Amino acid sequence: MIARKVKNKIMIGLIGLLAIVSAAPLFAIIASIYVNGARIISPRFLVDFPPPPLGGSDGGIGPALVGTLILMALSILIGGGLGLFTGIFLSEYGHHILSHYTRLSLQIMVEFPTVIIGLFAYAVLVLPLRSFNAFAGAFALAIVIIPYVALQVREAYASIPYSLKEAAYSLGVSPFVVNLRILLSVARRGVATALLVGLARAAGETAPLLFTILGTTLSYFEGLDKPIGAVPLLIYNFALSPYERWHEVAWGAAAVLLTIILALFIVTRSLVKEVKL
Amino acid sequence: MRWAVDVRNLNVWYGLKHVLKNVSLRIPRNMVFAIMGPSGCGKSTLLRAMNRLLELNPLAKVEGEVWINGVNIYSDEVDPMDARRLAGMVFQVPNPFPHLSIYENVALGPKLNGIVRSKKELDELVEWALRKAYLWDEVKDELKKPAARLSGGQQQRLCIARTLALKPKIILMDEPTANLDPVAASKIEELMLELKEDYTVVIVTHNPQQAARVSDYVAFLYMGEVIEVGETSNVFTTPKHELTEKYVVGKMG
Amino acid sequence: MRSERKFFMFLLVFPIISFIIVAGIIFSLIYTSFPIFLKEGLRFIVTAVWNPPKEDYGILHAIVGTLITSGLAVGIATPLAISLAVFSIELVPTKLRDVINSLSDLMASLPTVIYGLWGLYVFAPLLHQYVMLPLHEYLGFIPLFSTKPSPTNLFTAGTLLAIMVIPFSSSVIREAYEAVPQGLKEAAYSIGMTQWEVIKVMTGYIKSAIFAGVILALGRAMGETIAVAMVVGNTPTLPKSLFDMGYTVSSLIANQFPNAESYDYMVAALFGGAFLLFLIGLAINILGLRLVRKVVTQR
Repeated sequence: MIARKVKNKIMIGLIGLLAIVSAAPLFAIIASIYVNGARIISPRFLVDFPPPPLGGSDGGIGPALVGTLILMALSILIGGGLGLFTGIFLSEYGHHILSHYTRLSLQIMVEFPTVIIGLFAYAVLVLPLRSFNAFAGAFALAIVIIPYVALQVREAYASIPYSLKEAAYSLGVSPFVVNLRILLSVARRGVATALLVGLARAAGETAPLLFTILGTTLSYFEGLDKPIGAVPLLIYNFALSPYERWHEVAWGAAAVLLTIILALFIVTRSLVKEVKL
Repeated sequence: MRWAVDVRNLNVWYGLKHVLKNVSLRIPRNMVFAIMGPSGCGKSTLLRAMNRLLELNPLAKVEGEVWINGVNIYSDEVDPMDARRLAGMVFQVPNPFPHLSIYENVALGPKLNGIVRSKKELDELVEWALRKAYLWDEVKDELKKPAARLSGGQQQRLCIARTLALKPKIILMDEPTANLDPVAASKIEELMLELKEDYTVVIVTHNPQQAARVSDYVAFLYMGEVIEVGETSNVFTTPKHELTEKYVVGKMG
Repeated sequence: MRSERKFFMFLLVFPIISFIIVAGIIFSLIYTSFPIFLKEGLRFIVTAVWNPPKEDYGILHAIVGTLITSGLAVGIATPLAISLAVFSIELVPTKLRDVINSLSDLMASLPTVIYGLWGLYVFAPLLHQYVMLPLHEYLGFIPLFSTKPSPTNLFTAGTLLAIMVIPFSSSVIREAYEAVPQGLKEAAYSIGMTQWEVIKVMTGYIKSAIFAGVILALGRAMGETIAVAMVVGNTPTLPKSLFDMGYTVSSLIANQFPNAESYDYMVAALFGGAFLLFLIGLAINILGLRLVRKVVTQR
């Protein structure tokens, strides 16, 4: 009996230890990014062009940051919109045979490694245009976003009590008005969460951008049919470069990116809490 | 158009289950018409056939005709939307839109339907509807309060106001007092008697005493079939059918 | 019926778009990679060579690298994920449980490039100094550890992947653990089992969920590109030990893409790799579903 008790204590302790080991990297990562990045961040850092490889102390991630913001906006418009209506379809016509195949389709989409999505955008939008372009990047990001938004919106709409749906329809308005004005408003927290999660992915994904936007550092915005920069891509390229100065910029950029992600995460969390009430 | 609602040979299936069997019913104007029967007899289904809310259920299949205001609402030319404006509905569990205020709950329908032309008209309509529903005095100072904060009885009156604001011809009520305390319930029953002056009220109830109290005409439904229809006083004092008698006396679930 | 019909027609467009996208992706993979399969056939899959000037491509080393890193990742992550899940349910007060869940979700939301950056400049050196070098010194006779390690290699990639994959696995396991009927737990305690023994029983009960977690983790690990590309060493040789530098299919694609347009067949080769990656992922998912179903029906 004592042996069992001792074993119990040991194993419980082990579980606790392993759990802490699992969670520890999160803190280590956040800490090291802010520690290394804080050294270099300043307001100018957010706006300036990147420094030359062996360059001085000026320089920043201006073009990349603008690029990321543009890509975020465009991809959430396309991907969020497509995801929203797909999600409403799944909720409104969930019993339809097509819903089953749509859900299957979305499952497959979610599981595509993002490299593949990037390559697809390359084949479809970069090759024919003979140029890397921002739109291809937004397109790839949108594809990444669609299944997340669709499935989450479906959840949000599906959890609206049937009685409220009846009340909405009994006002004698069309299904468009019921679903896109009344029920959208009822489910707005869930939908907002879906869009925020999509936004966070658009901000942080790199692979879809590798094959589509080239990652220019020379200008803020040349047009949707031209290359554009993005923060995660900059981090990737600079971190792998042999230049110490660029490594510093990469850490700073990572700190900026992390802050964006954390902010989105916190907002999403606070929304979800209220939904649960 | 002698009848407010004229149901002709209505058959409804939920999947393979035949829920309403050849139901025919004629509801006269400006009165309270009660549909009563034990649980599961199909009364809520019948009510929902009158404003085409039934088809929100993907399993429901409807055959037959329902004539309201001289129009068969199930004919191909009629958009379900329009049927729902003719017959408004109040539900068993009060269901105001919880994320909207008291004012907005009543105003939403008219706004979306484009019934009013100015904010002033809308304000007047909202006040009129709330007064008619016996709720105005209790909420007039707090119209911006979220509807979810009202009591059950108040929420139900709010739902009635929401329905009235659309100026329907018929008011359908699906066991409107089943979830309310007796005081709140009696307020609603009083309201029903007043509403029949201007509207035709069709109420579904599982409580025969309620049917006896409020209705002028009553139909007894059992297992999807209309067993007996007639003036309330007649049906209750001299029921023609054995089942009706059993139900009325309280020997049925 | 007009407005209902219109609404359905309108919404119908969107599922159709997702079908088109999925079909389009698969089609473009096949179409663009076709030339390399035509040219090399099965050689493409079973040889390990990457010689762009000679247009000679064989991705066996990448496939092996993918299997090694993902296998390592899942092997390390699964016990950790189970521990995290069990810990959050059994060993902490309920209020803390939400915090831990949030932390786990946060881990899952971190961009991979951030894992990669940290992995490359903080984690890899530490792993190198405190884990790999000692292992090589003392256990170097075992083939697994026989190469002299540099900071970026398959082992680093596998371990980093494990860290990235834990939250996904853990949340699947956690949900299943929470759903175990109370009665089971109570019965176990009532016959005098210690907490550890009860945990063993509970985890045995949710075996299928743990499988599902493993499959999920495997899928994610195999598809992961950026973090891996930053720490795996990117060397086109067939690995002999865990400490060899290597490639995974996805890191190969990411790493070689900048060169791709200068050669005739490289783009096709990279798409070929992507197509294989897709097939492997599909196979694992289907296999996984079968396994899970088998475990469930066996109960």
